[in-house]
Amino acid sequence: MIFGKTKLELKVGIFVFVGLVILGIFILSIGGFKTWSSGYHINLNFNFVNGVKVGAPVRFSGVDVGEVKKVDLSFIPQENRSNVRLDIWLRNNIKIPADSSVWVNTLGLLGEKYIEIMPGKDYANCLKANDSLIGRDPLPMHQIFNRAENILRNLDDGIAKIRNKEGSLGKLIYDDDIYNQLDALVTDIRNHPWKLFYKTKEKK
Amino acid sequence: MMFTDFFITIGHRVISCMSFFGGLSNLAWQTIYLTFKPPYKWQRIFEQAKKAGYESFPIVALVALFIGFIFALQTAYFMQRIGSEIYIASLVALTVVRELGPVITALIVAGRVGASNTAELGSMQVTEQIDALETLATNPVKYLVVPRFVALSIMLPVLTLYANIIGILGSYIICVFKLGITSSMYMHVTFSALLYKDLFTGLFKSWIFGMVIALVSCYEGFNVEGGAEGVGKATTRSVVFTFIMIIAADCFFTALFYFIFP
Repeated sequence: MIFGKTKLELKVGIFVFVGLVILGIFILSIGGFKTWSSGYHINLNFNFVNGVKVGAPVRFSGVDVGEVKKVDLSFIPQENRSNVRLDIWLRNNIKIPADSSVWVNTLGLLGEKYIEIMPGKDYANCLKANDSLIGRDPLPMHQIFNRAENILRNLDDGIAKIRNKEGSLGKLIYDDDIYNQLDALVTDIRNHPWKLFYKTKEKK
Repeated sequence: MMFTDFFITIGHRVISCMSFFGGLSNLAWQTIYLTFKPPYKWQRIFEQAKKAGYESFPIVALVALFIGFIFALQTAYFMQRIGSEIYIASLVALTVVRELGPVITALIVAGRVGASNTAELGSMQVTEQIDALETLATNPVKYLVVPRFVALSIMLPVLTLYANIIGILGSYIICVFKLGITSSMYMHVTFSALLYKDLFTGLFKSWIFGMVIALVSCYEGFNVEGGAEGVGKATTRSVVFTFIMIIAADCFFTALFYFIFP
């Protein structure tokens, strides 16, 4: 049996120890989901990444296999452009062919950004740790809107012409003439169906 | 005469408020200084730790479990309407770990341990035991306040950890057995919503709350005047002030962390 002082210390000790175990569980569960399993890093170079943040998921064939660990922006004087280097962490068992194509994708129209890797065919030549891959730049949102606007403007112009009774379509829709002629034709044929079999004598 | 009474009242209020905070900070400095000055009274710290931590555990656990139930059910009411029940998990995890765990634990401990501290020190004060300690060349702050201060400032974060895990468990029970969210999905959403800063700002707050409870309750205990009635009044004041100061400190640190860890 344990008495007095030791018993008191035992109770407090167990209590605090269990508390520390809970703290450990919290710390490991919060941070440990991905960093527990071992993996490797590769670099992806982009001109434009459309707002990818640290922690954004990386998908290979549509499956989450890693995440963005770092986003570096640097200026390359030789090429006179800025380069965005993404440091990507991938699980160890993931093999990425060197000819895979990489781009930034969006969940939904304005949703979360993630890195999409479409596997290539060159499995003999897979990426190793710290290798680099050049990413395809995503279309910036304003360009997409620009294109859509152009398309809409063209459509609009077409429709305006039709409304203004210009061009063959406009005439077809708004001009009664062709309807009247067709109507006359149909009535004529109905009244004299034999006309269809009748070869008109072409007048010279 | 009316006007002078009016100003006298205001002056009295201001002075008593300032003397409260002055005395409290004086006690705080003495306590912090004496905490690090040997000899260390481990035995007394353990006794207080058992009283504050170990014996408060059942009620903290019970309340945290109910908070988990209630929170899951209350958020389910709206989340089901917009079809995102799965986010109950992250909502509960964040709220419990950041806010409810530390604050509810602190309020329970303030009511339970703070009140008993004030009553204990208060009756020692009115029976002149504290003066007796001084005549025995024992510093009453070192002997009475430091063990309570150390015990509460360690035990409150520990209790908060228990409250966090039990609160999440309570909401887990509702979500998994009532709302049909799978167990692994619940755990995944919970821990992917949490960040280290959520956990550690919560624990930091509960550490501050522990010190506030110990200091206010001991200060009120030391300043009891009159007999048994004085002890009762001091206990009431102690609990009220502790509650106010916990909520105020919570507001302050929440705002501070909001701006320094965005």
